[in-house]
Amino acid sequence: MLALTVFAALRPSPPTMRIGMIVAGVAVAGWLVGLVTGAVAESGGSTHGVFFLIFGLSAVGAAIRMVSHDRPIYCALHFVLVVIATAGLLLLLEAEFMAFALIIVYAGAILITYMFVLMLANQADNPDELRTDSVFDQLPREPASAVAVGFLMLCLVTGSVMSGSSSLPQPNNANAQWTTLEHLPKQFEASVEALDPSFHWPPVASDEGPLIRHDGDGAFIISGEGVRLQLNTDMLPRNTQQVGWTLVNDYPVSLELAGVILLMAMFGAAVLARRAIELTDREKRAVLTAHDSTSSSEAEGD
Amino acid sequence: MLTEFTTSALAGYLVISGILLVIGLIGFFVRRNLIIMFLCTELIFIGAAIAFVAVGRYLFDYSGQVMVIFILTVAAAEAALALALVVLLHRQRDTLDADVYAELRE
Repeated sequence: MLALTVFAALRPSPPTMRIGMIVAGVAVAGWLVGLVTGAVAESGGSTHGVFFLIFGLSAVGAAIRMVSHDRPIYCALHFVLVVIATAGLLLLLEAEFMAFALIIVYAGAILITYMFVLMLANQADNPDELRTDSVFDQLPREPASAVAVGFLMLCLVTGSVMSGSSSLPQPNNANAQWTTLEHLPKQFEASVEALDPSFHWPPVASDEGPLIRHDGDGAFIISGEGVRLQLNTDMLPRNTQQVGWTLVNDYPVSLELAGVILLMAMFGAAVLARRAIELTDREKRAVLTAHDSTSSSEAEGD
Repeated sequence: MLTEFTTSALAGYLVISGILLVIGLIGFFVRRNLIIMFLCTELIFIGAAIAFVAVGRYLFDYSGQVMVIFILTVAAAEAALALALVVLLHRQRDTLDADVYAELRE
């Protein structure tokens, strides 16, 4: 059904069919709501499930509208909606830093670049003419086969997720979150000091190595005199600290490579832009000999 | 403190990410505007990012969120290079129709 909706949304259609499409889209959305509500009711989450539905459905709806809209600027604006809904999903996943980084980098930087190029490329020849639709934006290329192949792939993905997620190993390393705190000695000591000023710093490591030990009640540390101090979950490093520590501790080479990629992209864009001016110079000469008045004024503008 | 995360909730996030990925793929094949085609690849990146963060959340592992940082890096580099190329092509032919540039494959 979702496949049919996407297919229908991709075709250019008369207004009556568009109304039918909207009704069908609402019906599909309702069916999806029912489906996901059932799944959420099983898991027992209440507000989490509601927000997951809102963000997930708006992300999918905006994505469908993005690939089906026939005006490029509106495609870009729908993509901003997808990014914001995705940031909401990441917030639900307790990835606060990545949620806001996604909004800043995608909606703030990358989308501005896209909008800039779109407006540069779609300048109207006649300023009085507001709509600058072009035929190639309205006519899709082989929508039926693309949608069929795409949803065949989606069926494979969904099927493997549904059948495989129940056989996933149950994660038992929730205590691993505490290891980051051991690597932040100043914060560790300050938070222990705030929790219990009488605790004799430093704590003693257990035989296996870690300073922070775990049992059924949670994490605790033991001082040199054998005093046990139960740790509070408020003392855990925040999301940004955890992500930063993982990035620098586990992926230092990848971090350097990411910097090199950005540098190379900058060089590449600069080289491409330089060559563009040379091409337009050659173009200008060719155009001047051909006595084409409209193109020559445009080339001189460059 | 991260608490337990059920497999059914994980499956919901993975299905959403799969849907976004497939819609981006369809858009890349179907649209004929060069800029929109590259915008659809960004949609594919977004779908992959959701899957990374959801699985990382399930395993209590922050590597998933670190991967999103690298995805953002690659997306920014791709946007800069692709849009520079698109501007270059647009200056030569004055159109964004991908079919016009079909002769480039030879």
